[in-house]
Amino acid sequence: MRTLPVFFKKELLETWRTRRFGVLAVVFLLFALMSPLAAKLTPDLLRLSLGTAVKLPTPTSVDSWTQFYKNISQMGIYIIAILFGGTVSRELTDKTLVNLVTKGLPRWAVIIAKYLCLLGQWLVVVASAFFITWGYTTFYFSDRQSPHPIAACLPLLVFGAFFLAVVLFGSTWGRHTYEGLLFTCLVMAILFLAKLLKQAHNFNPVSLIGDNVAILQGNLSLTKLFPAMGVALGLTLILIVSSVALLNKKALV
Amino acid sequence: MSDLLTLYHLQKRYGSRAVLQDLNFKIPRGSIFGLVGANGAGKTTTMRLILGLEKADAGTILINGEKVHYGQTKTNRMTGYLPDVPAFYDYMTSREYLRLCADLTHVANATVKIENTLALVGLEEVHHRIHGFSRGMRQRLGIAQALLNDPELLICDEPTSALDPAGRAAFLNLLYSLKGRVTVLFSTHILSDVERISDYVGILHHGRLAACDTPARLRAIYGRHQMALTFATVAETRRCATHFQAPWHDCTVTITYQGSYAAEARQVFQDLLAVKLMPVNLRRVDPTLDQIFMEVTQNENPTRVL
Repeated sequence: MRTLPVFFKKELLETWRTRRFGVLAVVFLLFALMSPLAAKLTPDLLRLSLGTAVKLPTPTSVDSWTQFYKNISQMGIYIIAILFGGTVSRELTDKTLVNLVTKGLPRWAVIIAKYLCLLGQWLVVVASAFFITWGYTTFYFSDRQSPHPIAACLPLLVFGAFFLAVVLFGSTWGRHTYEGLLFTCLVMAILFLAKLLKQAHNFNPVSLIGDNVAILQGNLSLTKLFPAMGVALGLTLILIVSSVALLNKKALV
Repeated sequence: MSDLLTLYHLQKRYGSRAVLQDLNFKIPRGSIFGLVGANGAGKTTTMRLILGLEKADAGTILINGEKVHYGQTKTNRMTGYLPDVPAFYDYMTSREYLRLCADLTHVANATVKIENTLALVGLEEVHHRIHGFSRGMRQRLGIAQALLNDPELLICDEPTSALDPAGRAAFLNLLYSLKGRVTVLFSTHILSDVERISDYVGILHHGRLAACDTPARLRAIYGRHQMALTFATVAETRRCATHFQAPWHDCTVTITYQGSYAAEARQVFQDLLAVKLMPVNLRRVDPTLDQIFMEVTQNENPTRVL
């Protein structure tokens, strides 16, 4: 167990020095700043281009949060997949684990430390972006149409935990970064296809990034997504255990 | 002297290809063991098996009496490993990398130990990140990480293959300086390196240990005794070569003989006088490891094992 914090520390240094965390932080900061601003300015911009006669609805806080969740679910998670898709496969192709494993680093510690580091980064960037968006949304829109912002964000955080496990497994399974990316894209495609099954909606992890605005407005209870959260967390555990098993079988040299 | 490393009946196949076949050898504690063989002979596989990075199909490996198990790292506390191309995290400095290694191996008084090890390999003044390191510097950092936890067994996979002559000499001196304190197993296909520092030499051929002994005994068993006679002219050289039925090259005839050098040299002189030939130079040619290697690998049957 003493090796886990050692490798976790190395992961933190790596994400900092390779500027991956920096890129992620900047992207999520932009999402946080742009979402309320885009919601506020879009009607004005449309009026400027389409003419003043066009009637457009007055923007609300819901538009700001809609933009926020769209940005993260349609761009943010894929940026994460691109940045961290090679987290294990790169170590294997570069043979950087050989020295450390022959010094007593267990392979499970590699997977767990990497997952914890990814999860930590996800929680930090999403939480930061969330609070910045909340602040700006409150500043721009003084309405009461978004009464449950924290409950709406919780499914997103859980989905991130699941998505990172998918990225980690893909990276362990694939020999190269692009194979890991392909695996992640395939899983997402399958989950989106599964959305077509209405009965499975509440169990599909992808619902965790689709129903946030409904929860925000109070149109959907968070409890409705508990099954999907349970499935996502269960799959997360399975993917992490499978990643350890997979790495145990991989030749390091 | 007890044995630090013992390999019994080790076998390894990759698909239908047998990489190691009934490999047996022992390395006495504190000695330097050179493992030689052509590319694909099984040197790296042997090392990977010793480190538990590969699973053997059959056989037993003991380090200090403890069995090596695939995927488990218990015996790795006693080993240091220098891969043929050591890979590091380029965004770290050498000190940060050694700190990572020290933390993993629970090195006591790590800061002092890191500085001492860096001084040993000549990297104490280098403070920039590994990204800018030359191949030689990487090799030196590789040996530093391998020695950091004071291993009982140091395993080096072709450590000198990519170094320039000065780097090679420095590296071999460093390995030699460990003799007696650390047991060293190193593989190479540069036979002069083995000849220079090894106490024992193992010759791997087609996954079998074709020969294994001290360099002196290998010379005695496999070395061909030869003498070289150099003449002033090509005509004399040709006459001598014809007389002794021996090969010649550049005014030098090489004669292979059995028995003692003195008796054979005397006989050669008498023969030369009889045919009115006199060399400008005559010298004994000691058998080289290259020659022994060729001799051993041409003989398929394993002969002598330590």
